[in-house]
Amino acid sequence: MKENEGVYAIIITCLILIAFVVPYTLLPNVEKWYGSFLFWTVLTVIVIGVNYLLIRDWGKKQ
Amino acid sequence: MNTSYVWWAVAIYIIISLFIAFLSRSGKQNDMVSYFLGDRKLGGIVSALSYSATTYSAFMLVGLAGLTYSGGVGALGFELIYLMGVSLIAFFGPRFWVVGKKYGYVTPSEMLGDRYQDKRVAVIVALTSCLFLIPYSAVQLTGVGYLLSGLTNNEITFSTGVLIATIMAILFSYIAGIRSVAWTDSLQAIFMIITSTVVVLVLINGLGGFSSFFQTLETEHPASLAVPGNGFFNIFTFIGMTLPWMFFSLSNPQVSQRLFMPSSLKNLKIMILGFMIFGLIYTLVAIFWGFSATIMFPNLDNVDMATPLILSSDLVPPILGVIVMVGIMAAAISTIDSILLTLASVFAKDVYGNLRKRPTDRMQLQIGKFVIPVIAIIAYLFAEMELSIIVLLSVASSAGLIIAVPAIFGTFFWKRGTAAGVLASVGVTGVIVIFLEAFQWKPLGLASGVWGIILSTIIFIGVSFVTKAPEEKAEEFLTTVKVALQKERKNN
Repeated sequence: MKENEGVYAIIITCLILIAFVVPYTLLPNVEKWYGSFLFWTVLTVIVIGVNYLLIRDWGKKQ
Repeated sequence: MNTSYVWWAVAIYIIISLFIAFLSRSGKQNDMVSYFLGDRKLGGIVSALSYSATTYSAFMLVGLAGLTYSGGVGALGFELIYLMGVSLIAFFGPRFWVVGKKYGYVTPSEMLGDRYQDKRVAVIVALTSCLFLIPYSAVQLTGVGYLLSGLTNNEITFSTGVLIATIMAILFSYIAGIRSVAWTDSLQAIFMIITSTVVVLVLINGLGGFSSFFQTLETEHPASLAVPGNGFFNIFTFIGMTLPWMFFSLSNPQVSQRLFMPSSLKNLKIMILGFMIFGLIYTLVAIFWGFSATIMFPNLDNVDMATPLILSSDLVPPILGVIVMVGIMAAAISTIDSILLTLASVFAKDVYGNLRKRPTDRMQLQIGKFVIPVIAIIAYLFAEMELSIIVLLSVASSAGLIIAVPAIFGTFFWKRGTAAGVLASVGVTGVIVIFLEAFQWKPLGLASGVWGIILSTIIFIGVSFVTKAPEEKAEEFLTTVKVALQKERKNN
């Protein structure tokens, strides 16, 4: 377990909030593949990466 | 599509998966922990694949693809925000796992009942799970019915499809409990992701490759690449659909129960990361699937028919079409059998177990096994009523289950939470959500799921403040979690 779990929780919460806000505010007129489609996909990859950093040490020395 | 191909493919699928189910029989399986949790000894890869197969159902390639067809890229946001919400299990997973081992919990509702020191908590949460998950299973069954009848021009009827799916789900969960479910799930997960990815690649290739694919969307259907786009996904609809799904990994017992099963934290880690990667790929596949339908059949009246039409189109070779159809069927059945098993354990442990004075483990197991087909038959009858709006019903079940989420947060993070708080929040909000769904009311433009999470949180906190918390238990429970997690930290 990480000691700074709370920091990770805040980061992930912010990323999820961005996922709601950006496509409806900055991208509604970008009717291209690099608009909301790319944005949500990349953001998900980032969230998975943050999860990896958070849990990568689980069960390493048992 | 040739009906005899379909029958052959279904037969081969049934034979192979039953073979796997029988192979999975190991151990004694004569107690609750063994039958429903696989003795808490599941490996990482099997856990990840089974978690994926349980989560992703016929909804993906039928419902989500249909949603993409109707509303465009908003469907991707909806599904990927759900996936981001699975981060919750990076926080709750080890906690569930630790207390499951320490106190011997079999079901999440049992955990809530013990933590809040009130059997009624376990009973009400268990009954809520049954109330909302049976319709959810029925939705899966209808998915199979539509698929088979759509692909064979009704030569295989809707009812036959539903019946086949029901029988398979009963068999997979009955043969060896969670072991047969986990192993057949794993096989089905691999099968469904490979076959659907191949079809999507074939479709994109047939429609001119990636750049031409997007170019067609950009010029002919530009609204499909932005939100709110054509208006389908206005911000209220989007939040109303997405919010309940974000908490799916905690609110749905068929997935949260999985947190009790991995043999080690390392395997829990593999389960979480493996699932997230699987989820991202499968989601993209379903979205491309929907976009392909947008390009190929721009004027459909019934969006549920988009997938059967794609599979019978000229772009997809018939054999591949049939194989993917089996993949979609597998996706549905692998979700239903897990739900059946979870509901059976919940009923046996939390409803029967709390109503009887001295319930033995053996009796509970017998009740659980008896309940599996009973629940399946209820879902079957529900499906036969042919409630068509697949997506909306699926979301409604999520909205209904979300009401237990504040109590789950309280279990691990709030000592002041009380049994009265849980009973009031689940009971009152449950009734409100059902009313909102039944009359399709959206006060202030917000959907039932949003009201569900807001009201259950307020009621849980409010009632907890004016009632007495089980201080001793809360202290002991939270200390157990803290000590176990600290120990883990030192190990690293």
